[in-house]
Amino acid sequence: MAQILSYLQAHAKVLKWVFFSCLLGTLLFDFLVVRHHPHFWGDSVIGFWALFTILGCLGMIVFCKGLSHVWLAQREDFYDSEDSDNDE
Amino acid sequence: MMSSTIFLHPASYFILGALLLPIFTRFKMQKVILLAVPLLAFWQIHNLPESFGICNFMGFELVFGRVDKLTYVFLHVFTLMALIGAIYCLHVKETGHHIAAFLYVAGSLGTTLAGDYLTIFIFWELMAFASTFLIWYRKRKRSIEAGYRYLLVHTAGGLILLAGIFLRYQNCHDLSFTQIAVNGATTADYLIMIGFMLNAAVPPIHAWLPDAYPEATVTGAVFMCAFTTKTAVYVLARAFPGFEMLAIMGAIMTLYGVGYAVIENDARRILAYHIVSQVGYMVCGIGIGTAMAVNGACAHAYAHILYKALLFMGVGAVLEMTGKSKLNELGGLYKRMPWALTFTVIGGIAISGFPLTSGFISKSMIIAAAGADHRIFIMIMLSLAAVGTFLSVGIKLPYFIWFGKDSGVKAKEAPWNMNLAMIFASFMCIFLGIYPEYLYRMLPFPVHYHPYTAYHLSETLQILGFTGLGFYLMVKYLHPEPKSNLDVDWFYRKGALVFMWVACKPISIANDWVGEVYQTVGLRFTKAVAKALSWFDWEGIDWAVDGSAKGVVQGGDKMRTLQTGKIQQYVGGAVAALMIVLLVVIFL
Repeated sequence: MAQILSYLQAHAKVLKWVFFSCLLGTLLFDFLVVRHHPHFWGDSVIGFWALFTILGCLGMIVFCKGLSHVWLAQREDFYDSEDSDNDE
Repeated sequence: MMSSTIFLHPASYFILGALLLPIFTRFKMQKVILLAVPLLAFWQIHNLPESFGICNFMGFELVFGRVDKLTYVFLHVFTLMALIGAIYCLHVKETGHHIAAFLYVAGSLGTTLAGDYLTIFIFWELMAFASTFLIWYRKRKRSIEAGYRYLLVHTAGGLILLAGIFLRYQNCHDLSFTQIAVNGATTADYLIMIGFMLNAAVPPIHAWLPDAYPEATVTGAVFMCAFTTKTAVYVLARAFPGFEMLAIMGAIMTLYGVGYAVIENDARRILAYHIVSQVGYMVCGIGIGTAMAVNGACAHAYAHILYKALLFMGVGAVLEMTGKSKLNELGGLYKRMPWALTFTVIGGIAISGFPLTSGFISKSMIIAAAGADHRIFIMIMLSLAAVGTFLSVGIKLPYFIWFGKDSGVKAKEAPWNMNLAMIFASFMCIFLGIYPEYLYRMLPFPVHYHPYTAYHLSETLQILGFTGLGFYLMVKYLHPEPKSNLDVDWFYRKGALVFMWVACKPISIANDWVGEVYQTVGLRFTKAVAKALSWFDWEGIDWAVDGSAKGVVQGGDKMRTLQTGKIQQYVGGAVAALMIVLLVVIFL
C-alpha cells in the first residue's frame, strides 16, 4: 500500500492532469444527461452544480477562515489560562 | 414481569454483561464477553414481539418494549455498531471502561425500545451517566473538566425533558410515547422537544458535543459518536415528524457544523463538529416529515453511524499510535500508517456521498425529499453542506494527517483488532452503497427512490470534483493552525468563572462583613435568646417528645459518614440506584 502511494506521490504531475481531465469529463457528461424531474431552474442548467460548488467552496473557505481569523480563533489554552489566572 | 421477558430485551444483555465483566476479567475471559454480548443482542433484535415488558409501577404503565419498523432500523444499527465498537476496544484492559460502554449501549437500546416517557427518561439518564465515564477514563485534567461540563449540560437537558414529561402528565394524564400532532403541540411537548434537541446537538445547545468528544478516550469516542445523537434522532423521528422548526434548524445545523469543521485544527474536533452537520440532515428530514424525508433521515442515521465511527476509528488509531490528533502536529504519515489512511479515506468518501458508498444512497434521499417538497432554499443549503463535507472531512483531514508536510512523527500500524473493526465498518460503507436495498428494506415506509440515476450521478460528480478543485486552489489558505475556535460554550465556561468570582469576591467580602457585625452585636443577643429557648426546650419540649431528639442526632451522624464528598462515588451511587429501581420495576 505504501509503495503505491509513494509511486503516485512521485508522479504528482500526471495525477494533476488526470484530475483536470476528470473535471472536464464530468462537465461533458452533464451535456448528455436527461433530466426527468428537475426540482428547480438550476437543475436544467448544464454545469450548474459545478459552478455552484466552486463558488460555494471558495466562498465557504474565505468566509469561515476569515471569521476565524478576525474573531473566533483563540489560543488553545484560552480557557485554561483563565483558570490559572483565577488561582493566582 | 417474568424473567423470560427480561431476556427478550436486548439492553438486559448489556447490563448483565456489564455486571459479569469483572468476574470474567478475573478469569482472563474479558474478550469472550465483549464479543458475545453484542452478538447475542444483534441476534435477539430479530426475535422481538411487537410489544413486551409492560408493567405497572405506582399507577404508571411502563412499556419497556415496543417494536415496529422505525425501532427496528435503529436497533439493527445500534447493535451492529456495538459489535464493531467492541472489536475496536478489545485491547483495552480497564474493565470499568468496558462497563461504561456497555451501560451506555444499554441506555441507548432501552430508549429506542421504550414505549412511554418515564422509561425513556430512565434510560436517557443512564446513557448520559455511563458515557461521562468514557470521557473521564482518558484521565487527563482537560478530560475530567470536559466530563463534568458534559454531565452538567446533559443533566440540565434531562431536567428540561423531565419538566416536559411532568407537565404533559398534568395536562393529559398520558405518558405513552407516540407521534405528536403538529397543530396540537403544547408547552409540555416543546419542553420535551428541547430535551431531545439538546442530545441531537441542535445549535445553540450543541456545544457540549465538540467540547466533550475530542477529550474522550480513543475507544470511548467511537462509541459516543454513534449513540447519543442518533438516539435523539430516533426519538425526534418518533414524536416530532413534520415540525417546521426542525426542518429549518436542521438545515442551519448542516452548515454550522461544516463551517467549524473547515476551520478547526484537532482532527477529532473536526469530526465532532461534523456530527452536528450530519445530524442536521436527519433533523431536517424529520422536520420535512414526508415519508421519503423520514425514510431518508433513518437511512442517513444508519449510514452515518457506520462511516462516522469508521472516521473516529481511523483518527483514533493515529492518536493511539502517535499520541497526537492535531493536524498541525501531524503530516506525512502515509508511509507509516497506510492502512489507517485507507480506512479513513473510505469513511471520508462515504460521508461525502461518493457513488458506490453508503453516503450516496442516504444523504441524497433527504436532499431529494426537500426538492420533492419544493423547499428549494433548504435543498440548496443541504447541497452546500455536502460541498463543505467533502472539503473538510473527505480531503482536508486525510491530507493534513497522511500527506502535506512530513512531520517526522514516529508511528506504526494500529493493533489487529482496531484494523479488523475498521475493515468491518469499511465493508458496510461500501456494501450499502452497492446494495442499497439491504438498507431500504428496513426503512419505516416503502421506498420509491432510486439513487443511481444519470442526473444524480452527474450532479454528485460535479460537486465532488469541483470541491477537489477548490481545495487544490486554496490549500495554502487552509493550512492548519494551532488554534481553537470560540463557540457558544463560551457563555457557560466564562459564565461559570464570573459566577465563581462573584461567589469568591463580593459575596465572600459581604459575608465577612456581616460575620463581623454579627460577632460584635448579634452574638450576645443570640446567646441570650438561645439560653431562654434552651431552657424552654429542655424543660418543655423534650419532656413531651422524649427520646426522639436523640434518635435524630444519631441518625444524622450515620448519614454524615456516608457522605464522602467524592462526586465519582455520588454518580456511581446514582447509577447503582437507577439500576436497582430498574430491576425492581422489571421484576414487579
